[in-house]
Amino acid sequence: MQTLNSTSLKTDQLINRDPFLVIEDVSKIYPTPNGPYIVLDGINLTVHEGEFVCLIGHSGCGKSTLLDMVSGFRQPTEGEVRLQTKRITEPGPERMVVFQNYSLLPWMSAFENVYVGLDSVWPDKSKAEKTAIAREHLALVGLTEAANKKPKELSGGMKQRVSIARALALRPQVLILDEPFGALDPITREELQEELLKIWQAHQVTVLMITHDIDEALFLGDRLVMMTNGPAATIGEIMNIPFARPRDRTRIMEDPAYYDLRNYALDFLYRRCGHVDE
Amino acid sequence: MSVFVEVDHVGRTFPMPDGDRYIALKNIELKIKKGEFVTLIGHSGCGKSTLLNIIAGLDKATQGGVLLEGRQVTQPGPERMVVFQNYSLLPWLTVRENIALAVDEVMSDRPKGERRGVVEHHIDMVKLRHAADKRPGELSGGMKQRVAIARALSIRPKLLLLDEPFGALDALTRSGLQDQLMQICEENKTTCVMVTHDVDEALLLSDRVVMLTNGPESYIGQVLNIPFARPRHRLEVVKHPNYYSLRGEAVNFLNQQKRGKQRKVKQTAIARHGLEKVNLEIGFIPLTDCAPLVVAKEKGLFKKYGLDEVTLSREPSWKAIVEGVASRRLDAAQMTAGMPLTMTIGIDGKPPLPTVTALVLSRNGNAITLSKHLYNEGVRTLADFKAAITSSPDKIHTLGMVHPSSMHNLLLRYWLASGGIDPDLDVSLTVIPPPQMVANLKAGNIDGYCVGEPWNSRAVYEDLGFVIATDLDLWDGHVEKVLGVREDWANQNPQTHLALVKALMEACEYCDDHRNREEILELLCQPHYVGSAPEYTRPGFIDPYQRGTDAKPELLLRYNQFHIEKTNCPYRVEGLWILTQLARWGITPFPKNWIEVLDRVRRVDVFGEAARDLGMMDIEPDRGSIRLFDGTVFNPDDPISYLNSLKIKRDLRIQEITIDLEAEARGERLEARG
Repeated sequence: MQTLNSTSLKTDQLINRDPFLVIEDVSKIYPTPNGPYIVLDGINLTVHEGEFVCLIGHSGCGKSTLLDMVSGFRQPTEGEVRLQTKRITEPGPERMVVFQNYSLLPWMSAFENVYVGLDSVWPDKSKAEKTAIAREHLALVGLTEAANKKPKELSGGMKQRVSIARALALRPQVLILDEPFGALDPITREELQEELLKIWQAHQVTVLMITHDIDEALFLGDRLVMMTNGPAATIGEIMNIPFARPRDRTRIMEDPAYYDLRNYALDFLYRRCGHVDE
Repeated sequence: MSVFVEVDHVGRTFPMPDGDRYIALKNIELKIKKGEFVTLIGHSGCGKSTLLNIIAGLDKATQGGVLLEGRQVTQPGPERMVVFQNYSLLPWLTVRENIALAVDEVMSDRPKGERRGVVEHHIDMVKLRHAADKRPGELSGGMKQRVAIARALSIRPKLLLLDEPFGALDALTRSGLQDQLMQICEENKTTCVMVTHDVDEALLLSDRVVMLTNGPESYIGQVLNIPFARPRHRLEVVKHPNYYSLRGEAVNFLNQQKRGKQRKVKQTAIARHGLEKVNLEIGFIPLTDCAPLVVAKEKGLFKKYGLDEVTLSREPSWKAIVEGVASRRLDAAQMTAGMPLTMTIGIDGKPPLPTVTALVLSRNGNAITLSKHLYNEGVRTLADFKAAITSSPDKIHTLGMVHPSSMHNLLLRYWLASGGIDPDLDVSLTVIPPPQMVANLKAGNIDGYCVGEPWNSRAVYEDLGFVIATDLDLWDGHVEKVLGVREDWANQNPQTHLALVKALMEACEYCDDHRNREEILELLCQPHYVGSAPEYTRPGFIDPYQRGTDAKPELLLRYNQFHIEKTNCPYRVEGLWILTQLARWGITPFPKNWIEVLDRVRRVDVFGEAARDLGMMDIEPDRGSIRLFDGTVFNPDDPISYLNSLKIKRDLRIQEITIDLEAEARGERLEARG
């Protein structure tokens, strides 16, 4: 099929490039009174520079734990995570995280929320320069006019835009998104997805994103990593998402491959890794 | 079945601080049957929760009212239980105590033992036995919502009302709860009304999806009937041939509302150059034969005739075209040949809306594709197909077509019937928008379809299907797409209408000059038009046509015909043929006054005026008989005998069709409501 051929071409090109972010034999095990509890078991994933990778899996499958080891908030029990051959041992501004709950400081305006990040990472840069960077990134997410508003005066979508601006302002090499649009209504979600794609293309940033929404993954990602259920969760399968970019939502949904991929992912999640009841 | 809940012309107005009023809901009418599952869907602020609250008795309608089993709802009551998104559990009580509280309150006259039994039964129903003694603080979101559902159901409500119950849960937890809710409702025959904005959730759970427009003055914009058999399973439901087209309709509805919200300022007519309106929104479907519209836009022909601001709107389905023209969102549209007639007569319970066509945009250009699977079973001809159907009585062969009023439907039916296959009894026909045909064929949801290009060639190109017949094999030169506008629009904008017909007629002429085809192909393949790949758009349009069989590719010069041989005249005889076929299959009654209907709908006069202005021939083709591939002759002087002579058909209804002012006024009223 034509679309799939074009993917394999693309993948070949990627393979020729050096690996950018490498997750190698990573396991995460917590000791408990009843013996070791294995959260993640033997995760291997190589991400190339500029790639957009989505992760999907049921609650408790350790997706967030995995991303925490990329951001440096946690350490693997076994294996290692490397960014450009350098082992990740702590959080750093080259790997920025955006959470579902925005995590904005409520007493600061949108501008100040972005600025405070710049200030902590680049204390030596001039105020004028940092102000300019903050303004530029607020403009990027369409918030120039709301720059002086406090989080409580902003809608959910606007708050998440501030979080994205704050993360991007530090020019990270990797942007880590932990279900960033999960709390938004579907229309706002679609708008932000489209903005995120534009920003991703303009910034050439590598993105790792957790989502629970198959349509979102198919619209945004180059690859979809499907995780098995925990405990001892691992990568069940990786799906290549072949749609040409720039992507148009309507066009993708007209592609015969779309429903195959969507139904395949649904099948993986609901049948092969059926939900284990609490 | 009798009405269980009746929402009778409900309106809700809120006073504003500045003394003004905010009309949230206007004239909502909805009848719900016992055991039915209805979802309300719409954007934030469309008033869906307000409506749910009015049904619950938590809020009062300003106009109209709600009846439950014939009794007016005036206050909340235990026969109507509501489940909210935020669970609303008492944090200091355990799961068991939260449920018991409701049971003890409502069933206080029952013995303690019985109440206890009810509580325990409902704990099991939502599978929370292991957590029965936990407090909400120790439960996950999904578990809390299960408690809320158990509590609501434990007091045996007649009606369960759910206000985005799973909205706060992640998509995967949500799915588990949807399955449980569905199972509970099916087992207990619970009548449910649920507010959601998740389209997949609505499709999975509902019997009907009621879509509300944006406020202020929200009203029911569209209702989808969900035909999936119960009990339903998530993974089987998505394989139903209509799943993705229903999903597309709901998504499209929401997107339109979103666009409407962004537009806000209503488009006003800009008059210029002696034309009533030069800013036109024209709908089209991504198909090769939308070429005249694309050419008129890209080659500046609209501008040449004074239409300075024409926007072409790529529509997802023919149904969206009908809706767009009816609601005046679109000034004009590419339509299937029968659409102005069915809109004027009224089908699918829609009120008659006089609609006219003054121009045929294309002839031919369709084919019937069957799956490669059937090919591999040896199906090559219609007779083979009939044999395949007969030899597998357990399998229902499903075929896609694009709209009841389309030539695809009528020719497909005609072709099947000519081979002794009853299109309603021996196979199942289903409406699928053209761009989704290939996806559905690939997924195995359908066994074939009749559609315009490039969607047959794409199936051939991807080796998913083969073309068993082109329409040249069936009726060479049949009318295919027409330009359609509302009759009142044509009357209000006569000069604009004329200019539009002239611009498109010139575009049609341009399209039929094969030297221009490469250029047109390039335009069509652009993503905002057809957006198809040239490889499968070329066959038939430029290159020899490939059927995906052993047959050698064949050059079909008249496959996409836009101008030659009196293509453009909307002459009446072929309109009459369409009327007979619509009646044959019970889609519309056959009008006793067919001459009047055709005169009204097929505006040969406007065509003639445009043709004369352009120095083209304005004569209507000869009023002769039409002979199709099977040798049957259609005599336009005696359509009723023709209908009676057909072997396979439905019961004929023949009646006077009144296209009166009342019908128009009714359309207007609906319009005003919309």
